[in-house]
Amino acid sequence: MKRLIKYAVLAFAVAVVTHLATVLAAPYVLMDVAMARVSKADGINHWTHPPRTTETSRKVVRPSPDLAYSACVYDLDGGPVHVTASAWDDYMSVSVFAHNSDNIFVINDRQAPQGVDMIIVRKGEPHPPGAALVVESPSRRGIVLQRRVAPTQERWEAANAARRHDICEQLKS
Amino acid sequence: MRSAFAVFAAVLVGIAAGFGSAWLVLDNGQLLSRTEYDYWFGNEKAGSTAADPYTRGIIAKIGLLALNRSETIYFHRYKDQDGRQLREGCVYEMSGGNLPARWWSITAYAGDDFLPVNGDGAYSVDATQLQRDADGRWRVRIAATRGDAANWISTRHAGSFNLALRMYNPDAGARDDVSTIPYPTITRLNCSEGHA
Repeated sequence: MKRLIKYAVLAFAVAVVTHLATVLAAPYVLMDVAMARVSKADGINHWTHPPRTTETSRKVVRPSPDLAYSACVYDLDGGPVHVTASAWDDYMSVSVFAHNSDNIFVINDRQAPQGVDMIIVRKGEPHPPGAALVVESPSRRGIVLQRRVAPTQERWEAANAARRHDICEQLKS
Repeated sequence: MRSAFAVFAAVLVGIAAGFGSAWLVLDNGQLLSRTEYDYWFGNEKAGSTAADPYTRGIIAKIGLLALNRSETIYFHRYKDQDGRQLREGCVYEMSGGNLPARWWSITAYAGDDFLPVNGDGAYSVDATQLQRDADGRWRVRIAATRGDAANWISTRHAGSFNLALRMYNPDAGARDDVSTIPYPTITRLNCSEGHA
């Protein structure tokens, strides 16, 4: 009996540790999966402009069919990353998500009516000279996401044209 | 030898129980019901850097890349007006008025948290495309077939589904106190046989 209790306590302790470890690790694992899917076509430090969201869009859960999304997996290993997003005549935002899935930064078209031009650096690293907007990332890798309201095919095509020259790339020295 | 096997078995059972219970929690968006109004529920920590590990984990599982509340308010709904799970086999009417945000939308998701695979292209309604009554109010049929509805969200092949309400650039009043939001009502009208 005493031995049985000993094994039950062991199982319970392992269960508690495994439970907590799973909860803590889940955001990192899910971000890793999302980053792998997003960067599969166009690589790291490069905007990916997927087609209009439909039932076949299965890279990230709960996508909105009324938004034109663009995503870029950033990696600061080689230095800061330069991100631009052209202006849009409706709601538009550019947001940055750290490896733990936290939304560490967001800016929208009202705050940046001429479009977004920003540099992502590793937290604690020096800011590039002359950079007007710098985002400090606590993690080496993460995702930059662009959203443009585009609820019709016509508006989606306009959004697709507007984002064509947007940049997400390692900062040129 | 026997005791080594027992230790091994206890560890295995612990790992399975710990992983399974964690996944059950993370996979259940309804556990996020920190704030709930008429079965619409949300969490003010969604997307924020102040989220506790459970909130962060659940959001990562069911709503990865969600924005923080200063930018967007998200609410989710899994139940009708009487607390019954939303189902493909039933017809619902959703109605409401203007919502306090620059732009908003309501989207149906199947149980796997992706858009239902049905080819109807009627996944959502949004503030700019809704057909409204003369007084500005609107009604949406949520069902597997459109019927003669002006506004329709298709739930064909959605199974047990849920809805997401997104409010981008919410007004200051809504941001400060989400209980002031006039949430749309959802009424179950009827169900086909086998879905009562």
